[in-house]
Amino acid sequence: MTATSSQSRKLPGVDQEGSSTQRFLQIAFIWHIIVSIAALVGLVYLWTSNVEFPVWQRVVASVIAVILGVASGFASPLIRSRDHRGRVLSLGVNYFGFLLLLLSSMHLFGIFTGIDALANTFGRGVPFIGFLVSGYLINGFGERAEKYPARQRLLRQIGNVIMGLSLIGFLFAIGLLQGVIAILVQVNTPRNIALALGVLLFGAFAWFMWRGNVAKAMHESSDDLEMLNGYLFLSPNLLGFLFFFAGPLLLSLYVSFTNADGFGNQEWVGLANYGEIFNLDFARLASPDQAANEVLDITVYDELWRFSIFGSSFVIGAQDKLFWIALRNTLVFVLSAVPFSVIPALFLANVLNSGIPGMRFFRAVYFIPSVAAVVGVALIWQWLYNSTVGWINYFIMTVVEGINSITTAGLLTDPQIGWLSDTNVALFAVVIIAAWQWLGFNTILYLAGLQNIPKSLYEAASIDGANAWNQFWRITVPLLGPTTFFVVSTTTIQAMQVFDQVFVLTRPPGGPGTSTTTMVLYLYSQGFRNFRQGYASSIAWVLFILILGLTLVQFQRQRAAEAA
Amino acid sequence: MQSSMRLNTLLKNTVVYIVLGLFAGVMVFPFLVMLFTSLKVVEDTYNFPPRLLPRQQITMQVDGFEEPLPLYYVDQDAQRSEYVLIERSVRVANYAEPDDMATTYLREVDQVTPTGGEAAPQTIMVDGEEEELFDIEVDGQIIPMIVESRTALGRFADPNDLNTTVLQNVRLSEPVEKLTYTFDSYQEVTELHAMGRSLSNTALVTIGVVLGQLITSILGGYAFARLRFPGRDKLFVVYLATIMIPFVVLITPLYQLMVTIGWVDRLAALIIPWIFTAYGTFLMRQAFLAIPNEIEEAAILDGASRFQILRRIFLPASTPAIAALATFTFLYAWNSFFWPLVVINSGNESNRVLTLALNVLGGRAADSPNLVLAGAAIAVLPPVLIYILGQRFFVESATSTGLKG
Repeated sequence: MTATSSQSRKLPGVDQEGSSTQRFLQIAFIWHIIVSIAALVGLVYLWTSNVEFPVWQRVVASVIAVILGVASGFASPLIRSRDHRGRVLSLGVNYFGFLLLLLSSMHLFGIFTGIDALANTFGRGVPFIGFLVSGYLINGFGERAEKYPARQRLLRQIGNVIMGLSLIGFLFAIGLLQGVIAILVQVNTPRNIALALGVLLFGAFAWFMWRGNVAKAMHESSDDLEMLNGYLFLSPNLLGFLFFFAGPLLLSLYVSFTNADGFGNQEWVGLANYGEIFNLDFARLASPDQAANEVLDITVYDELWRFSIFGSSFVIGAQDKLFWIALRNTLVFVLSAVPFSVIPALFLANVLNSGIPGMRFFRAVYFIPSVAAVVGVALIWQWLYNSTVGWINYFIMTVVEGINSITTAGLLTDPQIGWLSDTNVALFAVVIIAAWQWLGFNTILYLAGLQNIPKSLYEAASIDGANAWNQFWRITVPLLGPTTFFVVSTTTIQAMQVFDQVFVLTRPPGGPGTSTTTMVLYLYSQGFRNFRQGYASSIAWVLFILILGLTLVQFQRQRAAEAA
Repeated sequence: MQSSMRLNTLLKNTVVYIVLGLFAGVMVFPFLVMLFTSLKVVEDTYNFPPRLLPRQQITMQVDGFEEPLPLYYVDQDAQRSEYVLIERSVRVANYAEPDDMATTYLREVDQVTPTGGEAAPQTIMVDGEEEELFDIEVDGQIIPMIVESRTALGRFADPNDLNTTVLQNVRLSEPVEKLTYTFDSYQEVTELHAMGRSLSNTALVTIGVVLGQLITSILGGYAFARLRFPGRDKLFVVYLATIMIPFVVLITPLYQLMVTIGWVDRLAALIIPWIFTAYGTFLMRQAFLAIPNEIEEAAILDGASRFQILRRIFLPASTPAIAALATFTFLYAWNSFFWPLVVINSGNESNRVLTLALNVLGGRAADSPNLVLAGAAIAVLPPVLIYILGQRFFVESATSTGLKG
C-alpha cells in the first residue's frame, strides 16, 4: 500500500503562518459576515415578499437560513481569534451552502430532468461500455502476471488507456458535449449567474478552509479531523436520507390526518380517515335471513358479514366494506403463501444438505424464480393458467384421465378450473405464483442455517439410536429456530405487501369482483385512482402497524421458544 | 448385508433425485414456456393440447404460383399424403334428388349447370318451397337435383402433379409442420411496442441506482463504522429503526414530494430517491466493522487520508459485501414495479421502464401470447443471465441481506 498524502499537515517545518494563509483567513472573516447578513436579508424577504411560497417551503427555507446565518455569525469572530471551532463552523457553513446551491442550480438548470434525454442517447454509448469492460479485463489480466513486472506494467497501461478512451467516448456518445453547452447557455439571467457564482464562492471557501496550511493555522485537533471526516463521509447519505425518507415518513403521518388529494389540496381532518376505516356497526337480526337494511343504517354501512350464534343471528356492517375485504384477502394470502413457501423450503434444504452430488446445481435452479421480475413472472403464469389452452389445466386433465383409466371409469371429473375467472380460486392462483417465486429464496436461507448446525450432534444422536425422522424433529427443527423466525417473518412482511402479482395477473386488478383485492392494491386504488391520498396514507399506517404487530408476536414466540 | 445397504442407498438416492428433479422442473418449466412461446408464431400458440416447442407450417414453392403454398395432410383410401393448398375457398354444394334427400353428391358450384340451361332454369316445389334444379352427372347419367347444403372447401393438390386435386375442409385439415423458431415477436415488441426504449431506460435507471447506492452506502457505512463524531450512535439507531418500515408507508408522501419538485413522469424520480438507503448503509457498516483496527491506525500514522484508507484498505477487503449489495440493488432496481407505476404516467411511453411497458403489453397484446412472453423474456432474461454468471454473489446476497427482490 502506498499512502501519499497531498496534505502538508504532517510535514515538518513552517511553524509561522504563511502570509497567503493569513490573507485568506482575513477574507474568510469578512465572507462569513457577508453570509450572515445575506441570510438575514433572505429571511426578511421570505416573510415579507409578495411571492407566494407554500408554508412548509417557507419554514424549511427559514430554518436553513437561520442555521446558516447563526453559524456563519459565530464562525467569523472565532476565525479572527484562530479558534479551531471557527474552522469547523466555517467548513460546515461553506460545505452545506455549496451543496445547497449546487443542488438548487442543478435542479433549476434541468440536470435532473435531463436524465430523460440521457435515456434516449444512452443506447449509443453501449458499445463503449463494452470497450470499458475489455479494458478492465486487460487491466485485471495484467494483475495476474506478477512474475513479469514489465509485462504487468504494460498490460496495466494498455488497460488504463483503453478504459480512459472508452469512458471519454462513452460520455461524448451519450451527449456530454451538448449537455454541458445546454447548461452553460443557461447562465445568462441574473438569478442563474448569482447561483453559479454562489456555488463557486462557497465551494472555494470550503476547499481552502479544508487545506492543510489553514488547518494548521487554525490549530486543528485530530478529533476535529475525524469529526469533519465523519460528517463529510456521511453527508450525501444523510441529506438524501432526510430528504427522501425521513421527511416523507413524517409527512406520511401528517397526510394520514388530512384529506389530501394529490393535487396540492389538503385540509386537516383529524382522525376522520382512521374513523372511516374502522367504523363498524353491529346489530341483532330477528331472523337469519332478515334484510340488513332493516337493522343497519345503510346510508353509512354496508353489510360485511352475518353469522348465527346461540340461536341468535347478528350482522356486522362496515362503512368501508372494501377495506375489510382487502384485509381478509391479505390475511388469507399471508396464511397460505407463507406455509407454501416455507415448509417445502425446509424440506428441500434438508434434502439438499444431505451431501449428495449435484446439490449446487439444484440450489442454483431453485433460486432462478427469485431473480425474475414479478411482472414477467405473472404474465407467464397468466398464460399457464389459461382455462382452455393453458398448461396447468392440461396437466390436471392428464392426471385425471390417467387415474380414471387405471381405476374404474369416471371416478373423477376434469375440474376445468377457471383460475383467474373464478372468484373462489383467483386468490389461490396468486398464492401459487408467490409461493413458487419465494420458495427458492427460503431454501437458500434454510441451507445457510443448516450449515451452522454442528455435525457432531447428528453423530451422537445416531450412536444413541435415533433414526433420521427423530433427528429431524429433535435436532434440525429446534436448532433451525432462529432461521425459521427470520424466514417466516421476512416472508410474512413481504406477503402482507403483495401487489405486483395481483396487479398484473388479474384483470381488472383485484378481480374478478373483489376476490383478489389486497391491502396494498386497495391503497393504490384509493390513493392513485380515486386520489384520496390522505385516506391511502391512513391505510398504509394501519398496514404498517399490522406488520409491526405480526413481527413482534413472532419475535416474542421465538424468544419464548429459545427460553424453553 | 453389504449389498442390501448399497441397494438401500441407491434406492434412497434415486428417490431424492426424483424429488429434486421434480421441483427443479416446476421451477424451470414456466421459463421454458416463456422462451419457446416467444419463438412461436401467433397461430401456433393456441393449440390444445398445448405444445412446448415452436412449430410452423411447411410451405412449398410450386410452379405457377407466386407465393409459397402451405402443405397439409390429405387422407385418401387409408393412405396419408402431403398436398399443397392451391385454393382456399372453393364454393361447393351437396346435391340430392328431391325424393331421396339422404343420398347427396358433392359438386363444385361453378361446374354445375341449371337444368334447362342458364336461360330458362327449371324449378320444382319441395315442401311448399320453390327449389332450382341442377344437372348432376352420376356414373355417366345426368340427373336433376336440388341443393341440399352449401359450404366452402379448400382445393388441395399433389405438389408433383397439380392436376391431382382433392377438396377438403381447410380448418379441419392437419397442417404439415416442422420444428422451427422465429424472432419476429422480439422485433415487433421492441419496435412497435417501444420495449427497446424501455430496456434502455431500465438499464440507465439500474446503473444509476446501483452506482449511486454503492457510493453513498460505502461512504456512510465507513463513517458509521470507523469515524467518531457527535450524534453518530443516535443517528445510527434512527437508520436501523427505519429499515423495518415498509415502502407503502412512503408512497403517497414521496409522490407528493415528486409533484412538488417536478419529477413526476421523470426518470430522475426512479433513480435519485433510491440511492440513499438505510439498509445499504447498515450492510456496509457491518462489513467494515469486521476489518481489524490495526491496519487503519498504521495507515493514519503513515499520513494517509481517510479517503485513501477507504479506497486502498476497506474496499478491497469488503469486495464480497459490496458485490452482495450491488447484486441485491441491481435486482431491486431492475424489477421494481410499484413505484414506477405510481410516478410514471401511463401515457408517457418514452419514460416507461421495462416492467411498466410489460404491464401495458400484457393488456394490449393479450391475445398474442407470443408477443407478451417475448416482452417478459426481455425483462426476465438479463437478471437470470447475470445470475447464472455470478451465482455466488446472488446466493451470498440472499444469505447476508435476507432481503427479497
